[in-house]
Amino acid sequence: MTNEIHTPSSEFAREVASVPGGEAINKCIQCGICTASCMVARASEKYRPRKIIQKILIGKRDEVLRSDQPWFCMTCRMCEENCQEGVSPAEIFHAVRFIAAREGHIPNVFRNTLDTVLTDGWLLKDAYSDFIEDERDDLGLEVDLRFNDGFVKRVRERYFSPDMREAEV
Amino acid sequence: MDMLLYRGCTAPVRLPAYEAATIAVLEKLGVNLIEFKDTNCCGAQYVESLSRNAFAAMSGRILALAEKEGLDILAICGACSGSLKINKYHLDNDPTLRDEVNSLLADEGLKYTGKVRVRHLLQVLHEDIGIDAVERAVVRPYDGIRMAAHYGCHVTRPYEIVQVDDPENPTILDRLVEAVGGVAVDYAGKTRCCGGPMLAMDEGIASAIGRQKIQNIAEARADGLVTACVFCDIQLTQVQFGEGAIDKRIPVITIPQFLGPALGIDEDVLGLELNKITPSDIMASLQEGRQ
Ligand code: SF4
Ligand code: SF4
Repeated sequence: MTNEIHTPSSEFAREVASVPGGEAINKCIQCGICTASCMVARASEKYRPRKIIQKILIGKRDEVLRSDQPWFCMTCRMCEENCQEGVSPAEIFHAVRFIAAREGHIPNVFRNTLDTVLTDGWLLKDAYSDFIEDERDDLGLEVDLRFNDGFVKRVRERYFSPDMREAEV
Repeated sequence: MDMLLYRGCTAPVRLPAYEAATIAVLEKLGVNLIEFKDTNCCGAQYVESLSRNAFAAMSGRILALAEKEGLDILAICGACSGSLKINKYHLDNDPTLRDEVNSLLADEGLKYTGKVRVRHLLQVLHEDIGIDAVERAVVRPYDGIRMAAHYGCHVTRPYEIVQVDDPENPTILDRLVEAVGGVAVDYAGKTRCCGGPMLAMDEGIASAIGRQKIQNIAEARADGLVTACVFCDIQLTQVQFGEGAIDKRIPVITIPQFLGPALGIDEDVLGLELNKITPSDIMASLQEGRQ
């Protein structure tokens, strides 16, 4: 390990710390317990939560914001439960996503799904087929799901630009 | 006791049997679920990742609608219960965020003040009904069927906010299994994720994570797997199909579908025939009339 990692206070780390969820980043001692407890890291060598935090701490702003890595976290919070320093990598990656999203770095699946939710009011309107309606009917369940699609239009107007960047409130 | 059933986006379309079984089992145990109309997506994962304000608004509206009805919310999905609880926590503790969300809600005459509670199904079964009461209601106990429990990350973590069960050693599902005559089976990595949230970014990794879990459950020689979240149930079922899946599939069943038959509820009402991996071996372990 280099000594940089224990003296964390890059400009970017301060920026992340100023976003809700990112506050605790400077407490990270880079022990790696998060990576050791992460199922994504176990299944793929592409993903290492400790390493992403290290990159934030040493100020690799561009690299982190342009990378898919912060979007790979499942927010399962296994790491958070095991971290002895009170850091939640899941929360930190959400803070990073907010910053990335404002600058337009949004994986397509997030951009498109958000667009669907903010149009229909819910996720699966297109998947709700006649066949499933019948299934619900047979089970004695309400067939008319009655999701509201008006509120999401106001949410979109207020919080997002047309390309799904977060707008300044 | 009356509660509003927030069914979320996924259960009504992908797992309606879970919804039906929840309604039937809770009714049997004295909880009346009321149709919750005019809701919207809670904002989990997608809105959640892009804007804290928008996420709070999505969940905040659902909470405010429930306040108008004066009823607590029951959530049967881990992502929904997690989102509603996390946003309730933020809205209760951050006046600026609350004012922001309320300014948007005011357009339709809604207001968030924090009056209603969000309950996950496991909390209702454990705290409001009680495991003893479930046990007393059994009419056809299982004969020692071996069931592994998967709790769901968003159901149990973070504990300070969701307050369902001990996140490191959860026991509610296991105790429910035993209350109806099953044997709760422990397995390696019980509190680990099913991999479901990874489907958005990388299906290969998502399947590898889910299959690892199924492998561990198979090694513990479980006859079945009980779940308490829509996403976990679908994911842990799905990974048992396709290339690289294990040979002998393990039936995945939601907790109310497992409890129902022991409580004397008709299998059709519980939608058991809709389960992708048939739970017939589990049902075969039911004993005839105890009382
Ligand atoms: S477990 Fe905590 S302190 Fe250790 S590297 Fe991960 S975030 Fe940092
Ligand atoms: S919350 Fe994210 S980083 Fe932490 S263990 Fe889960 S997937 Fe890994």
